[in-house]
Amino acid sequence: MTTVSWAGPLAGDAEVVRGSLVESERFSVIFDAYFGEIHRYVAQRLGADSAEDVVAETFLTAFRKRTRYDPSRASVRVWLYGIATNLIRRHHRTELRTLRALGRHGPDPDVPGHEDEVSAQVSAQSLRPSIAAALAGLHQRDRDVLLLVALADLSHEEIASALGIPYGTVGSRLSRARRKLRAVLGESNPMLDPEEAGRG
Amino acid sequence: MDELVRELYGEPAPDPALKTRVGALLEAEARRRLRRPWSMAVAGLAAAAVVAGVVLAGVAAESPDEAPGVESGRSILLAAAITAESGTADAGAYWRVRKLVRERYPEMLGSGQNRYWMAESRVAEQWMSRSGKVWAGSAELGATPAGRADEEAWRRDGSPVRWPGHRLSTSAGKGTLEAVPGGVAFSMAGKSMTFARIRALATDPVGLRAEVEEIVSSTGADDGLVADALSGLLWSKPSPPDVRAAAYRALAELPEVRYLGQRADESGRVGAAFTFTLREPIGLVRRTLIIDTGSSQVLSSVTDAAGVRDDQVELVLEAGWTNEKPTAPDLPPGTP
Repeated sequence: MTTVSWAGPLAGDAEVVRGSLVESERFSVIFDAYFGEIHRYVAQRLGADSAEDVVAETFLTAFRKRTRYDPSRASVRVWLYGIATNLIRRHHRTELRTLRALGRHGPDPDVPGHEDEVSAQVSAQSLRPSIAAALAGLHQRDRDVLLLVALADLSHEEIASALGIPYGTVGSRLSRARRKLRAVLGESNPMLDPEEAGRG
Repeated sequence: MDELVRELYGEPAPDPALKTRVGALLEAEARRRLRRPWSMAVAGLAAAAVVAGVVLAGVAAESPDEAPGVESGRSILLAAAITAESGTADAGAYWRVRKLVRERYPEMLGSGQNRYWMAESRVAEQWMSRSGKVWAGSAELGATPAGRADEEAWRRDGSPVRWPGHRLSTSAGKGTLEAVPGGVAFSMAGKSMTFARIRALATDPVGLRAEVEEIVSSTGADDGLVADALSGLLWSKPSPPDVRAAAYRALAELPEVRYLGQRADESGRVGAAFTFTLREPIGLVRRTLIIDTGSSQVLSSVTDAAGVRDDQVELVLEAGWTNEKPTAPDLPPGTP
């Protein structure tokens, strides 16, 4: 599975945002570069049907607040993930409903998994309901951090700037989330990588 | 474990149709905000602010549900008073305020179905020598449609660049500087104030408030008017540091001055935003000030009626004493 479409900030993103203060049409460069990735993240968390409003609001918010964007604090990509995550919080019930559906049916069957991952997916299949339930049981702020790592592949530092929280808080929320997930799944499960668990 | 989470969520299908819809929304928003001469001037100002080391805001914490506390607003004003107190008095040959102003033209223009509001932008300056001689400087940036709907109506009207019978034009003008006869550049609630009078104002908050209430009382003072007169002492008048400090302290005690939290002005400079409502001849208006708490300087003042439209936006470029000599203002950097 491809997890990241953009490994790092595009060169010159910050300049584009600055330039868009003068010519607001230039903001479309940012939109073109990040729409796919942000849509993917929001659709994963809220489901494809409910993603539209939040994705639109993410880019409109970014556009309106572009005067407040500080390139020394975060890349444009991280800034957009922060805005999207804050907006997703207002759709708590939709997120829980989506998680219940994912636990029952799995992700959208239209999209085939990559060939080499099929066997892993089959063995993970039985864990799906418990993982979904465990994620739904997490505190919202712990889930945000866990998913920014797992789905968006942001570093601790990037998550700290995206959410405006201290660096250390990222680590503590992440390890609490992983601890709860492990507890639900059972320590003995061979699918769980103990080294990864200790990484947070 | 993260791999299990990723598998659970799967890979949603890309949605090009959604991208087109959201892109259109974004374009509409960008057009709505198109105000060319003003935005170029503001961009120039933003660049100047970066050069001057003004800190631009970081990634804003999104907390629209948390209302900033009354107590935090009060302590911000009291802290600004301490900074204001340590300012230097009369540190230069001239006192000067230089600002970027955008005002809605008071009459709707156009005809028939194509009626619209225009907004005029200009650089405005006031200068005063130590002896109290006063000059007013101005440079027009040209008028633009006030909003997106106005812009569309203006285009349908044939995109006129001037209007018979109105002193209004879409083109920028040369800067001018004129001496103000009588040396009265300042006013409080419509009453003229000399430099000598401003210097003699009370330097304790209770005394200053009483004095200001007395000055504005003949106009049927409401508390918003007192707040407005006090805040005027912070930036639009050559108030001595102890008068500015007293004005901050008096504002901190006014219940109708509401703290809105940290806000950016149109040029992106961030400060503490305070708002109050006052009765003007045209009706109730709301005025919002953004204050740089680090320097105790007012960054911007926005006046609007019932919150629907910015009727007047003022961005303070410079305020205080200088050894520069009064000259006609140039257009700010970034303006063609």
